[in-house]
Amino acid sequence: MEPAMGMGLVALMGAAATVAGCSEDLESDIGSQSNPNSQVQLAAQVGYPHRIFNKAISGEPPSNAMYCAVGAGVAMMLMSESVMSASPLLAIAIGAFVAALLNGVFSTTAYLGRNASQTRFNQYVYLDVLRNQILSLMGHAYIATFCIVGLSYVLWEQTLIGHPFPFPVIALIWGLCVGAIGSSTGDVHYGAEREFQDFKFGSGLNAADSGNITRFAEAGVRSSMDNAWFCSKFGGPATGVAFGMVVFLDNWRSTAFAEVLNGWGAVLVGLVIVLALVIYNRQIETYARKKYGPYPEYAGDIEA
Amino acid sequence: MTDVTIMGMLAGNLPSIIGIIIGGLCIAVGVHFVPVGGAPAAMAQATGIGTGTVQLAAGSGLTGLLAAGYMYMVMSAGGAEVGMSQIALICATGAVGAMIMISVTMLVGNWVYIYGVGVPPASAKRDYDPITKDPQAPYVAAGTVGQGLPTVCFVSGAIGGLLGGLGGSLIYCMLMWVNADPAISSIFAIGIFVVNAVLPSYNIQGTIEGFHDPKFKRVPKAIVACFVASLLCGIIAVIIPSAAMLAGGA
Repeated sequence: MEPAMGMGLVALMGAAATVAGCSEDLESDIGSQSNPNSQVQLAAQVGYPHRIFNKAISGEPPSNAMYCAVGAGVAMMLMSESVMSASPLLAIAIGAFVAALLNGVFSTTAYLGRNASQTRFNQYVYLDVLRNQILSLMGHAYIATFCIVGLSYVLWEQTLIGHPFPFPVIALIWGLCVGAIGSSTGDVHYGAEREFQDFKFGSGLNAADSGNITRFAEAGVRSSMDNAWFCSKFGGPATGVAFGMVVFLDNWRSTAFAEVLNGWGAVLVGLVIVLALVIYNRQIETYARKKYGPYPEYAGDIEA
Repeated sequence: MTDVTIMGMLAGNLPSIIGIIIGGLCIAVGVHFVPVGGAPAAMAQATGIGTGTVQLAAGSGLTGLLAAGYMYMVMSAGGAEVGMSQIALICATGAVGAMIMISVTMLVGNWVYIYGVGVPPASAKRDYDPITKDPQAPYVAAGTVGQGLPTVCFVSGAIGGLLGGLGGSLIYCMLMWVNADPAISSIFAIGIFVVNAVLPSYNIQGTIEGFHDPKFKRVPKAIVACFVASLLCGIIAVIIPSAAMLAGGA
C-alpha cells in the first residue's frame, strides 16, 4: 500500500475512533453504567430516591465488546457472498442497528429490574424515564458501534490494511478498549463531578457523602438527559480524544515506521511517545498542585 | 494409541507451553503494576484509574495484541519462518502498543481529574512520591484515599502495560507456532489473557496504586496461581488443534 493511502486510512480510523469514544461515554453517562452506577444504586438505599436512569448491565468494556462483536458479526454475514454480498457501508449500518437493539433490550431489563428491586426504598419504576431515555441510549450506542465496526472493517479488509484477526474479534478488542477508556476517563467527569455538584468544586468527595447524589437540576428534577448535556462539554469529548489518540498513535507508528530499522523503528517511536506522555503528565501534575494548593483541612506534619 | 499421540504432541510443543507460561506470568505481574482504583477512583475517592483491574489490563493488553498480530503477519509473509528474533520484535511491538493505550488513558484521566473535577493527583499510600519526592499527604482530600494519577502511578501503569502487552503477544506467538491460524490463536490468546488477569485481581481486591503499594508484595502468590493456570491453558491450547487433527485425520 502507498504510504499516503496508509496515512489516510490511519487518520480516518482516528477520526471514527474519536466520534466512537465520545458517543460511548455519553451513552454510559445517560444510563449511569459502569462505576458511577454504584452511587446511583446507593442513593435510594441511603434515602435519596431519584429519577436518574440506572442500568449496570456489566462493566463498560464487556458490554461494548459485545455490541461491537455483534455488529461486526452481522455485518460480516451480510457482506458474505453466500448471503447477499451487501455493500460494506450498508452491512455495517445494519450490524450497528442490531447492536443498538440489543442495547435497548439490556437497558430496559436492567432499568426495570434494578428499580423494581428498590421499591422498599421508595425508588419506583418511572415509565416516562424509561421511554424518554431509551432511544437516546440506543442512538448513542448505534453511533459508537457504527464507528468502531467501521474502523475495524478498515483494519480487517484485505485490500485496505488486511489485519489477520477475524473481523468480529478486531471489533471485540476495540470495543473492549473503548469501554476501558470511557470507564476510566469520561465516567470520572460524571461520577466525581456531575453526580456531586452540590459539593464545592475541587473539594473532593468524602466517603461519608457517598450516595448523596445531586437530584435537582437547574430547573426541576434532574434527569439523565441533563447529565448527558453536562458531560458532553468535557467528559465525552475527552474520552473521544483518548480513544482517537490510542487508535491513531498506535496505528501511525506501526504504519509509518514499520520499515525503519527492520521494524524496531516503530517500537522506538512508541517508546518516545510514552516518554513524552510521562513528561506531559508530570507537567500537568505540578500545575495542579501549584494551582489548587494543599487541602485546608489537612492537619498532618508533612509540609506541602 | 491416542494417549501416546497426545503425549507426543505435548512433548513436541513443549517450547510453546513454556512460552505460554512465561507470557501468563508476565500478565500476572503486569496487572499488579497497573494503578486501578475501581469504583472509588471514578468518584475521585481513591488514587488510580477509575475502572476495574481486569477490564483495564485486558483493554491495554489486547490493544497490544492487535499490533502484535499485524506484525506477526508481516514477519511471516511469504511463508517466512518466525524465529526468536522475530518473536522479540513482535512482543516488543505488542508491549509498546499496550503502553501507548494505558499511558493515553492515564493522561486523559488526569485531565478529567485536574480540569473537570478540580483535584490535584495525590497518592495516599506514601507520604512522598518515590520518584519525584513530592509530598502527597497535604494534597489528599479529606475522607478519601487519594485521587488522580501522580507520577509514580503513571510510571507504574506504563510498566504494567508493557508487561501485559508483552505477555499477550508472547502467548499469541506461541499459539501461532502450534496451530498457525490467526483466528484460533487470537481468540485463545484473549482467553488465556483474561484468565491471567482475573486471578491476580483477587490479590488486588479492587484497588492498587502500583509497585509502591503494600499490596504489591503479594505478587508471589499470583505467580504461583498463574503458573498453574497457564500450564493448564497451555496444555489445552496444544491438545485442541492436535485433537482436531486426530479426529479429522489430517
